[in-house]
Amino acid sequence: MTTTRRHILAAPALLPVLAALGAREAAAQASPVRGGTLIYLEQQTYTNLYPPAGGFYPNGGVLNQITDKLTYQNPQTLEIEPWIAESWTVNADATEYVFRLRPGVTFSDGTPLDAEAVARNFDTYGLGNRELRHPVSEVITNYQRSEVIDPLTVRFLFHRPSPGFLQGTSVIGSGLVSPRTLALPFDQLGDATKIIGSGPFVVARQVLGRELVLNARRDYAWGPKNHPHQGRALLDSIRIIVSGEDSVRIGALLAGQAHVIRQIQAYDEERVRSRGFQIFAPSTRGVNNSIVFRPDNPLVADIRVRQALRFATNTQEIVDTLFSPNYPRATSIIASTAQGYVNLADRLIYDPRRAVELLEEAGWTLGPRGVRQKDGQELVLTAYESLPQPRNKETLQLVAQQWARIGVRLNVLAGDSGSRVVDNLDPAKTPVSPAMVGRADPDVIRSQYHPLTRNALLQTGGVSQRVRSFHDARLNDLLDAIASEPNREKRLALVGDVQRYILDQAYVIPIFEEPQVFAAAPRVRGLGFEAVGRPSFYGTWLAAR
Amino acid sequence: MRRYLLQRLGQALLVLLAAYTVAFVLLQALPGDAVLIKFLGSEMGLTADQIAELRIAYGADAPVWEQYLHTLGRFLAGEFGYSIRAGVPVASLLAENIRPTLVLAGLALAAASLLAVALAVLSQLGFGWVRAVVRSMPPFFVAVPVFWLGIMLIQVFSFQLGLISVIAPEPWEELVLPVLTLAVPISAPLAQLLIRNLDAILNEPFVAVARAKGATHAWVLWRHAARNALPPTLTMAGVLFGELLGGAVVTETVFGLGGLGGLTQQAVANQDVAVLQAIVVLSAAAFVAISLAMDLLLPLIDPRLATRPAGAA
Repeated sequence: MTTTRRHILAAPALLPVLAALGAREAAAQASPVRGGTLIYLEQQTYTNLYPPAGGFYPNGGVLNQITDKLTYQNPQTLEIEPWIAESWTVNADATEYVFRLRPGVTFSDGTPLDAEAVARNFDTYGLGNRELRHPVSEVITNYQRSEVIDPLTVRFLFHRPSPGFLQGTSVIGSGLVSPRTLALPFDQLGDATKIIGSGPFVVARQVLGRELVLNARRDYAWGPKNHPHQGRALLDSIRIIVSGEDSVRIGALLAGQAHVIRQIQAYDEERVRSRGFQIFAPSTRGVNNSIVFRPDNPLVADIRVRQALRFATNTQEIVDTLFSPNYPRATSIIASTAQGYVNLADRLIYDPRRAVELLEEAGWTLGPRGVRQKDGQELVLTAYESLPQPRNKETLQLVAQQWARIGVRLNVLAGDSGSRVVDNLDPAKTPVSPAMVGRADPDVIRSQYHPLTRNALLQTGGVSQRVRSFHDARLNDLLDAIASEPNREKRLALVGDVQRYILDQAYVIPIFEEPQVFAAAPRVRGLGFEAVGRPSFYGTWLAAR
Repeated sequence: MRRYLLQRLGQALLVLLAAYTVAFVLLQALPGDAVLIKFLGSEMGLTADQIAELRIAYGADAPVWEQYLHTLGRFLAGEFGYSIRAGVPVASLLAENIRPTLVLAGLALAAASLLAVALAVLSQLGFGWVRAVVRSMPPFFVAVPVFWLGIMLIQVFSFQLGLISVIAPEPWEELVLPVLTLAVPISAPLAQLLIRNLDAILNEPFVAVARAKGATHAWVLWRHAARNALPPTLTMAGVLFGELLGGAVVTETVFGLGGLGGLTQQAVANQDVAVLQAIVVLSAAAFVAISLAMDLLLPLIDPRLATRPAGAA
């Protein structure tokens, strides 16, 4: 324990910056080399490649190479820039969008990527397809219909203002695919060879569950307008290979058997870096890795209990012991790189004495077993670990230790996926739960907390039948306003309001800003990441050894 | 003989139906179902209405008996359906995973048998301390965790010495380390059984008679002891092979190989009924076939066993 700690403290926060500068300098010196095969190791295999299912990282890693998007979100500035759409106009209340498309773009099956195809894509993502079981995309709200104005102009109409739609056209979940792909039922879209995009790479071969080979498309000439690289991809091909075991991925990278790997645990970062390899930790720019409360459960219905648990959570200790400087401590419910972020660190202080006071005030007194009780009931909470989040079990266990110091017990369960899903819908069984979601648009906050979407707090009116009465109309109004406020300044102001409101109500304990961590061999250059941390190999090349 | 075979075939069909039914019931008993896990536990962020609609489309809320008869009917018609998790036909998943599993299990069993026979022979022919060491091997082999062994082999032979590539290997090198990893623990029970049987048989009076007639140690071992010690070992090898078909999950994961083990684990975790049912029936069929093969094979090695099925016929 002590060595780990010293290790992390000793590593100056500047190191990653210096390493990145070094890499950029080297990249600037040598001119890009075309050709070669890049080997990319994934921790898990992709599942269903229906683009709106691209939120699952292994899916996003594939889709981002083979599909293009209508617009490009600049990962540095988060501005929306031209890609397949050369230009666009939005009406004042954001209920009508007109896109003018770039001419000459084709899908890899030869079909033109024209207004007809774009309309077909967004009709599917915006409305779903009952017959083919295509679900609606999470990023598109209030969609009504499309209109093809001419072969290169398409208009989208919305029931209510939908200011998040423009950014929604830039995400992996809105990747454009051939009408032939959209004609297939959902149940067949896990076959990568059936996903026909217009992207810089094309699926060449797959071994289900093991490997996917992508080849560069020779005639690709429609990269994002402001992307530093133009024309066809530099690599000839990419082999995406599944390697589930952490030590094997890292060993293979260091031994020169792979070029890029995804998912490196924080404790392995230093080992990789000290050998001269590159670490990339792009932020997921959304709702932070957090613990959320389900106030429908009487144990956490009292705001003082929730506040007490927040005061008792030492997030600095969590970040220092379990993670690395790539996992910044949270200072709001959303990441500091997210749009509309407000620094609320003063509301997120660690103060165990205040925590005890609040619990005493709320009537929870220390019982004989060291667990607080009230009216004969003990303050014992339960949470399921979340497998996709980094070191989530360890995080929850450390939180449990911190809460134990003020007399609150937290049970951390693993459980099978079925129990996890079912119990996480029941506030009586899971009064607290880990949560996070990434997307570089303010809509992400609504996605996470609104009862009609992910419903992280479990309010009534959502997918759970088990919620008895918890409902926060004020919160939902704020969330709806974010999703429908066309004025950018006003929208960002609302984002600030909702951050303050959620923290004032102590609904959430934000812990850290979650990155996606990748490692790459020293000779890998031009590795890019889209706005929420999925890799882009479009401008990537391999320098001579 | 024909009646015997027909009888066995009838039994086999019953076993398959029972396996299918038990797997179905067990999956139903678990909380949640594939549709919930796929669409609610996933990254898609669907609304309550959309999930309700998908549940209807997949028939996830139909009565259990209706789901059972429906899937059984389609199964009998040869339609294995689609994997809800992976979004591909179950048949493609099986086709992609059966071959690597058969090859890995077959080679691992062959390697394990060689190792077991070598240990057994050494345990009888070796000198004092060699015998002691050899006899302590099976318990040691069983105790080595497969996971650790796999990682160590990779670290040493692939990452340190650079002899074998684990990522994107050539066909010839792909199976070397996984087969070795699996063969070690599998050889242990085989070797143990073989050694114990040889010990027992070498103390039998007929061996003393053979020796008195002037047979050498090697002759006694080969002509008399081996033939008697082999049948139980073969039976055990059959059982182990059956286990290997679905039980190589750890090896598959460590080496990033495809296979039925990993597929089964994923199917159970995601309650992917269609996939799991197909695997269960397939494995049950494999077990039935192996045990039948063993029953037919054993009389060839030990003529005393031949009288039973022939007598029944």
